[in-house]
Amino acid sequence: MMYELASKGLKAAADAGADEAEILLIEDHKTSVDIRKGEIEGAKENISQGLGIRAIVNGAVGFASTNIMSHIEDAARSAVRSARVRERDPDWISLPYASEYPKVSGTRDPELEQMELDACILQTVKMIEGAGTIPGIVVTSGSFSRSFGKRLIMNTNGVEVEENSTGISGFADVITTKGEASTAYDFAISRKNDLDFTAIGRTAAELACRSQQGISIEPQRTDVILHPFAFADLLGSAFIPSIDADNVQKERSHLRGKIGEQIATERLSITDDGILDGGIETGRSDDEGVPSQRTKVVENGIFRSYLYDTYTAGKDNVKSTGNASRGSYFSTPSVGPRNFIIDHPGLDIIADTDKGVYVNTVIGAHTANSISGDFSVEARNAFTIKDGQIDKPVRSLMISGNIFEMLTKINGAGTDIRKVGGIVTPSIRIPEMSVVG
Amino acid sequence: MYRVDFFDAKIIEGTTTSIVLDNGNIKEVSENYTKGAGVRALSGGSWGYTSVDGDFDLNKAIDAASELAAGMDERSHKEKVEMLDISKPVARNMPKIKVDPRDVSLEEKVRLLKEIGARAKIDGISSTSAVYSESSYKVLYTDSTGIEGEYELVRTGFAISAVASREGVYQAGRESRFGVTGYEIFEKHDAFALAEAAANTALQLLDAKPAKGGNLPVILDPELAGVFAHEAVGHASEADLVLEGSSILENMIGQQIASPLINIIDDPTLHEYGFFPFDDEGTQSGKTVLIRDGVFNSYLHSRETAAKLGGQPGHCRAQGHAKPIVRMSNTYIDNGTSKFEEMLEEIKNGVYLIGSRGGQVNTGEGVFQFNAEKGYLIENGQLTTLIRDVSLSGKTLEILNNVRMVGNDLTLTSGRCGKGGQLVPVTDGSPHLMVSEALVGGA
Repeated sequence: MMYELASKGLKAAADAGADEAEILLIEDHKTSVDIRKGEIEGAKENISQGLGIRAIVNGAVGFASTNIMSHIEDAARSAVRSARVRERDPDWISLPYASEYPKVSGTRDPELEQMELDACILQTVKMIEGAGTIPGIVVTSGSFSRSFGKRLIMNTNGVEVEENSTGISGFADVITTKGEASTAYDFAISRKNDLDFTAIGRTAAELACRSQQGISIEPQRTDVILHPFAFADLLGSAFIPSIDADNVQKERSHLRGKIGEQIATERLSITDDGILDGGIETGRSDDEGVPSQRTKVVENGIFRSYLYDTYTAGKDNVKSTGNASRGSYFSTPSVGPRNFIIDHPGLDIIADTDKGVYVNTVIGAHTANSISGDFSVEARNAFTIKDGQIDKPVRSLMISGNIFEMLTKINGAGTDIRKVGGIVTPSIRIPEMSVVG
Repeated sequence: MYRVDFFDAKIIEGTTTSIVLDNGNIKEVSENYTKGAGVRALSGGSWGYTSVDGDFDLNKAIDAASELAAGMDERSHKEKVEMLDISKPVARNMPKIKVDPRDVSLEEKVRLLKEIGARAKIDGISSTSAVYSESSYKVLYTDSTGIEGEYELVRTGFAISAVASREGVYQAGRESRFGVTGYEIFEKHDAFALAEAAANTALQLLDAKPAKGGNLPVILDPELAGVFAHEAVGHASEADLVLEGSSILENMIGQQIASPLINIIDDPTLHEYGFFPFDDEGTQSGKTVLIRDGVFNSYLHSRETAAKLGGQPGHCRAQGHAKPIVRMSNTYIDNGTSKFEEMLEEIKNGVYLIGSRGGQVNTGEGVFQFNAEKGYLIENGQLTTLIRDVSLSGKTLEILNNVRMVGNDLTLTSGRCGKGGQLVPVTDGSPHLMVSEALVGGA
């Protein structure tokens, strides 16, 4: 059914004058259960579908999309029309060609496809119960969700790749109900039905509870340990944009011209991995049908590679790293990370720290300067560290710095590796960071 | 058919066209045609919600939502939810579109955007980008109490950004204007001048000094003060957050929470980007005063929260056909009487914070953090050194109380606000504010 539809779209584009064309078809089924103030508020079923068409006429790319499958031929003609108002793009080479795809594992769990509403509710209740194990806490809002879907990419160069995938996630926002108001959250995401929902509720509740009666601290430079949530947030906003080949080519990257240079401590390596077993961003191909792969981004501190989609790779005369990414069927591809794995030798990082600050989450990471890497964010659920132990909660704290400087200074990591969306990282310690209480 | 206490549906259909220009070249031209429905059903205290795309069968969707609601209520029975009854809305006070963007050729739009991009490419600017977008949507609402309404809304807008670089230092300047208007948006706003302004900001910032942090007296420009009104006060006024226990404004109605100089209003009837004739559960739109003379006056309500807490509904919105939640529209701090020069004289030494690069707020604890685009040191009542990477953070109620002067130069800025994973068009604004003390963060 999907194949016939896609073939029809490709033919309509060709008939309208397209030299090349590509169809992305998505079908997704998502069930979610929402929590509000400690109770289950309701359930949602989102059945979504849609298709996006890229049409290339004389080296100019046009795009159209719709969620009405029967409109596929109109959309194809609209894409051709869009292409015709553009001049030829001298950097355009072609859409990807047919190739071999790697086998991937852990991305589809039949248990999730068959999960009944009862089971969804049960998992949601576990988050509430988990939070309930700590007195004086309520889950202000939270959500359980599971989804399964199908994606087909087909183009006129012979690419034809279909993937089925599943996902499950849970998050809980909690607040203390006695004494000073203190909040915290926890979340987890997986492709398999293996999440501990009780732990999500309990972890958030413990954190909110421990964060009460925060002290203020003097502005200073000190060791800061960033929890995977905090570190992933900063990496995503301040570092990842700089390895996007598109930003590099447009001179919007601090890492332009730095391939082969030492950009981080030699104990740090970073891999972009499209085939990680059970990874959130794992798939046989990227979002334009290029086979997924593993790319060394940083190897023992040495900067090895930018991330490319087919278009940006063509500009640099290299091969795509399989990093075409589309938020939805109605988006054209742009460069985006896959599973982004941070590797650093780990130890009991808190015990290894005499004095410093532990930061669980930050707010405002998206306000970081994505070019210079400068950031100034508010640390949440932060604690002082004294003699290798978490000491006192800190009420309000601004941390600021520069991500590139940070990478060269990292002097420790935990063993607490977490999947924060596609970013896989342990806690990371940075010495001499500026904190203002 | 499952028995439910209430159901409603929002059906939306329309097109979006966008053009993206990158360094003078067209990067993307795209057209999107969407149709879909979001259906809610309420059984006792449980909501069921279904969204469907494309060619759908509305009755089937209502059945599916009803089945979820009834099933949920059976499995986790709780306090019954009441929906406030409303009267039939009228699509009045609609913005008049002078030039329907669908009547302007794609070629013409591409030509204009290229010209705008070229204006930002001045000496010292290493890269530029510009975006044009337009959308025309027909919205239809219907519920089980017999309420129904329909309207069509056209939105257009553009954004420009310019990056300047020198010796490994990169700085960006951005300008954007979006509204419920037709192609005449380019008559209302001088896109060429704005492109040059974005470029000049980027160039200026190259020479700006990193800021030093500390507790200081500050003047906020209308854009940053508007972000504060929206993020820190507006969100905390949303009754759904109040009900879940995530707002410091819970139980604050009638209390003095701000300087008596402060008036904050949310008004969806203004012909700004956050405009709607009725909200996404059929309630006629109307102006809501959040803070009057420093006294907290009202929450923002949906039909559900208004029934529970008492108040007027009319602030429940959805992105497309998602499930509607309590949202803002056009939110602003109203004019006072002070002039900017008087503020400089009064403050003597401090920091003038300009523009916004976003920020976040924790409405439960009443703390926030916003990054300004730039700032100036104020020394002896004069603007002196330009500074960058400067942020403002603190406690919402402290800032509201520390306001010493409110300007008479209210300006609104358009943008999109995210909540619960949904983006909706909004504007926020304010006149200049002088605040006696706030935590300024720097590099």
